[in-house]
Amino acid sequence: MKYISRNELSKLISDLVHEATIIAPRNIDEVLLYRPIQDYQDIEWHFTRPVLSIKEMLFPATDQLLHIEKTGQEIVLSDVLPEGKQVIFGVRPCDARGLKILDALFLDTPPRDINYASRRADTTIIGLACQEMHETCFCTSVGGYPDDPQDMDAMLTEADDGYLVQIVTEKGQALFGERVKPVVGPMVVPSLVSSPTPAIPSPDAIDWPSRFNDDYWDHLAERCLSCRICGYVCPTCRCFIVRDEATTSSNGHKSFERIRCWDTCTSEAYRRIAGGHNPRAAKGQRLRNRFFCKFHYYPQQYGPMACTGCGRCIELCPVNIDIGEVLQDIAEVVP
Amino acid sequence: MVYEPKIIAFLCTWCSYTGADTAGIARLKSPANIRAIRVPCSGRVAPEIIMRTFDQGADGVLVLGCHIGECHYDSGNHRTAKRLPILQALLSFTGLGPERLRLDWVSASEGERFSRIVNEFTDTIRALGPAKWRVECEESRLENASAQDTSSHAAEQAFHLTAQASTITQSIRDKAEELLSSGQVSCVIGYETGTHGRTRPAFIYDKDSVDRLVWNQDCTNNLTTYLRTALDSLAQKKGESARTVAILVKPCDSRAINVLMAENRFDRDKVYVIGVACDGMRETRQTNGDSAILQERCQQCSDRLPAVYDFLVGEPPQVQPVSITVQKVADLESMQPERRMEYWLSQFDRCIRCYACRQACPMCDCPTCLYERDDSLWVGSRIGLNEKRTFHLGRAFHLAGRCVDCHECENVCPMDIPISLLNRKLAQEIHSVFGHRAGIKSTPSPFVTILSGEERLP
Repeated sequence: MKYISRNELSKLISDLVHEATIIAPRNIDEVLLYRPIQDYQDIEWHFTRPVLSIKEMLFPATDQLLHIEKTGQEIVLSDVLPEGKQVIFGVRPCDARGLKILDALFLDTPPRDINYASRRADTTIIGLACQEMHETCFCTSVGGYPDDPQDMDAMLTEADDGYLVQIVTEKGQALFGERVKPVVGPMVVPSLVSSPTPAIPSPDAIDWPSRFNDDYWDHLAERCLSCRICGYVCPTCRCFIVRDEATTSSNGHKSFERIRCWDTCTSEAYRRIAGGHNPRAAKGQRLRNRFFCKFHYYPQQYGPMACTGCGRCIELCPVNIDIGEVLQDIAEVVP
Repeated sequence: MVYEPKIIAFLCTWCSYTGADTAGIARLKSPANIRAIRVPCSGRVAPEIIMRTFDQGADGVLVLGCHIGECHYDSGNHRTAKRLPILQALLSFTGLGPERLRLDWVSASEGERFSRIVNEFTDTIRALGPAKWRVECEESRLENASAQDTSSHAAEQAFHLTAQASTITQSIRDKAEELLSSGQVSCVIGYETGTHGRTRPAFIYDKDSVDRLVWNQDCTNNLTTYLRTALDSLAQKKGESARTVAILVKPCDSRAINVLMAENRFDRDKVYVIGVACDGMRETRQTNGDSAILQERCQQCSDRLPAVYDFLVGEPPQVQPVSITVQKVADLESMQPERRMEYWLSQFDRCIRCYACRQACPMCDCPTCLYERDDSLWVGSRIGLNEKRTFHLGRAFHLAGRCVDCHECENVCPMDIPISLLNRKLAQEIHSVFGHRAGIKSTPSPFVTILSGEERLP
């Protein structure tokens, strides 16, 4: 276990600013978001979780995939790869775990997603251990822990006048280098406030396919607004739509871009197909897909379940559709 | 190099387009900055097209139509005359110079007038310089340009829930039981206790479940947004279109019922309205349940009794409303246009196009939203600043004269974008021009064109 003082961390950030984009939780008009920072002072250290997860830094809401230019008879397609290193500070364990889950799809299952892979390679994750679990958090129910460093490059834990540093990967080692010192003498480390583990049944124990035709989903969906909040704030939801759109060109040639933008299965347009038919036209079918995807389809196809227990969807759903309650309801039904 | 503005002119084919020809025949000079687009009628120039034009980089937009009384389609230009000033007010409120959009009338014989107007307009725009409306650089806008101190307006009106909440709950349950057991209604839409101390919408079909219904200071959702789907699904399920739905409304929600009825969305006898005289709702942002601050909309609410109801519960409280949103709108208007634009861009920057504002809105009930079409006709699919602004301004315009001021869009926004300021601004404009306030009575807004009979959408 190593230690870094606040002063030293502040200096580290000032030095890093010149070689990488530094991202950390910031208070933007009373909304907490991961955004670029210039120095240590910009960072908001006391928070439960920013509104959006760090997903947006690796799988941005709009990502350009191709640049298309037409010159005379020729059409030139060129890849657009993201450039530049980024270091993200203050990442909660649940968000770091979200990236591990996305890796299973974007990196470990062919075809590899080159945009995601390139960003992932250029990103260093410096986490921050949680001191307590928030009311809507349930990471412990889906296999996580509030102070789990394993999915980060290094994790900070608040202590005394600085932070304890757990180096996890070589990237983390390279970032801190000689700046971290061995811990000398006793140190005041606030212990994790033990919070009652939320009574959420394990999603693994549920026989999902047998729940597929339940009326439950239609009843649950009655109050669903079919907005996209849950999907967009989720650290593991990763659906997108791909479009070619005209762009302004500087040289007078016709130019287009192929972009991919976030999309999510709770929205009505998601499954609409050519001709206007929508195989998932009912709200209940869409909402069911959200939970089946997280706990059944994704684990089947890629391994891990697609939920980190961050609790964002619970907190931000305007009509209180609560993933914990859904698991409970579904587990309780006797077939 | 002298700056030459890009100007798009929408010309009515019957008058101003011919007027331009007349100007040409008379060898009157027109500036080359004008890109003329011929349209069948000035009333055909949708406000969305004008917004799109500015989005794509135009510095000025000129709309020319027939003189009032000379429209070839009877009243097309009346629509233009209604719409454009409101659009101008909206664009100006978000930072575009009002001079950049001009509406005028030119008849086929007025070549000289055509020439004078386009020259004048081009000179004005040239003097103003580039519009800088289209955002080319999409870097995050972190700082709030205005640093608007909204807290000074909030009177921090402490919440004191009168003892009537539990009485109201009981009356609601009694009424619901009566309606369901007598078969008068098939479904009661109300509120129930949710998880984590929250209160949420509930759909009750069975008289034995009426005890789920509650009334408290967290009944914040506007339930009228469910009304049409509830009626449709009942009609489908039971095969009886005669079925009725009972719905619980606060005074603000009740205005939505009036607007929806005026727009022929459903018949009055299909809906049994249980109105609640409302004390106001508390801030919902915190889930810890400690907040005792009234929501902004409730602090400024002057209608504590529903505008429409079949059955009334509770006593209206005697509270003096404070004006907050109006003050915020005035503060924004007193800013320089550039700062105002910066303010709005910094707000829209946070938008993620989750469409929660639209989905929660009882007035937003188009079968397919104009801004979510598969063909990207009105807005691109990027989750970028230009597209977000287009969506929000377009939505605000579609709500002009229809928004009932329930602030539901702002309440559900995960990014705290002050959407209600746009709606408030347009409501003020509509009120000053037409003297109309949405939902007070079940009369259609004079601003919007209501389709009737065969014109109605399926």
